Amino acid sequence: MLALDVRNLHKKYPDFQLKNVSFQLEQGYIMGFIGVNGAGKTTTIKSILNMLRIDGGEVYVFGRNMAEHETELKQQIGCAFGDVDFYTRSRLKTITDITKKFYRNWNEDIYANYLRRFKLDENKKIAELSSGMKVKYSLALALSHGAKLLILDEPTSGLDPVSRDDLLDLFQELIVDGEISILFSTHITSDLEKCADFITFIDDGQIVASAEKNEFVEAYRLVSGSEAQLGVIREELIAYKVNSFGFTGLIRTEDFDPSSDLRASMPTLEEIMIYFAKKESLYV
Amino acid sequence: MYNLVMKDLKLGINPWFFILPLLTAALMLIPAWIYVIVPLYFCFITIPNVFGGFKSQNDLMFSTLMPTTKKDMVKARITVIVLLELMHLLAAMLVSLFTLRLYPNIDYLFFAPHAGFWGLCWVMLGIFNIVLLPMYYKTAYKYGAAAAASNIAAVLFAMVAQGAAMMVPQVHAIFYGAGLDRTGLQLSILAAGILIFAALTLLAYRISVRRFLEVEIL
Repeated sequence: MLALDVRNLHKKYPDFQLKNVSFQLEQGYIMGFIGVNGAGKTTTIKSILNMLRIDGGEVYVFGRNMAEHETELKQQIGCAFGDVDFYTRSRLKTITDITKKFYRNWNEDIYANYLRRFKLDENKKIAELSSGMKVKYSLALALSHGAKLLILDEPTSGLDPVSRDDLLDLFQELIVDGEISILFSTHITSDLEKCADFITFIDDGQIVASAEKNEFVEAYRLVSGSEAQLGVIREELIAYKVNSFGFTGLIRTEDFDPSSDLRASMPTLEEIMIYFAKKESLYV
Repeated sequence: MYNLVMKDLKLGINPWFFILPLLTAALMLIPAWIYVIVPLYFCFITIPNVFGGFKSQNDLMFSTLMPTTKKDMVKARITVIVLLELMHLLAAMLVSLFTLRLYPNIDYLFFAPHAGFWGLCWVMLGIFNIVLLPMYYKTAYKYGAAAAASNIAAVLFAMVAQGAAMMVPQVHAIFYGAGLDRTGLQLSILAAGILIFAALTLLAYRISVRRFLEVEIL
């Protein structure tokens, strides 16, 4: 079953637009949503959550149209935008007491468990929490109301390496029984190398690819060679960098001839992102 | 909707603004004062402060993340505003019963706090709402221009009503002369005022919902 089905989202701003954004997330998997700052990650997520008025397209959550069943579906969605930035002078206890009234399936025991696990003190004010603790608090709220789909916008961005690792372990733990699905946007691609099953890559408001992680990486090759070789292959490259030894560039695997003299290697997610961003800058 | 109202009451609005109606109502005990200022304090003080609180606390984001609809968000917020307006007016009306008995022989230059006067106050708050809310819900966070325009509208209405009562003989008779002894007439003006308040607020709600549905939560 599809936990999330995004179909042909369009959203036009004067200086930016989401164009035909489509991707699907199967229930029980983690999808990393990557792209550079300003690529359209948050716009897409806010469109999914009905926070923006889209110009076209549809979003289905567990098979039901989000626009038509927003209230009902939000009972099953947990979301976090970076860290908590509302009512920051209020105590966690106060925010929780208000929040839990909105959810039919609120589970006090699960909430208490996450408070212990994340070492969250309910008597602290949100402003007193570090960025990482704020993310953990958002997650504790989302998980305690029985959310089956977690939509997280850059949850790991403000975290130290240990907290990031801990959070990624938690994500993997959550999907073990196949009920919970996670879509999380990030520009820290190493997070995804560790825990994502699928990658959706957005660049300048368009989905470049949405595929299983290894399949996604295998679709590209990082090639390097001399400046003379660059002249031959330049048109096929997505983008390239010239250095004193020659060039290094990103190419689609289907466009790469393995019998050529070029040195080829598998790119990392970060390299794919960097070369796509470089391609954009070529046309600016 | 109920949860959103409770959220505003417990989290969004400082308890001070629920005490303020009692304090402003006490101003009704000042002999022959400009009593229309009493409900206007709600417009001058409570609304800008409460809306400023919602903005600085990023309430819009908090409410949006909850399983609610935009329509319910508007309905809940207007319910809370009307609740505060009711508190201000009812408290002032109650105290005014003592005012009339405490100073029976005083000369009122401005409106005396009879039922008819309170009818005008309800109309004034209705006008305040119809200007404030649709303007505010163009963004649901910018409140400066909406608060300024609605306050000006309410004050203008108060000035025109007071001016008419002073200068137009027929109106003067109702609020200063023989009309004060006609309980039926006074209560009718109060009832009409409440009806106009309800109609204007309902209209404000409808326009606000329509506008808020267009708002993007950034």
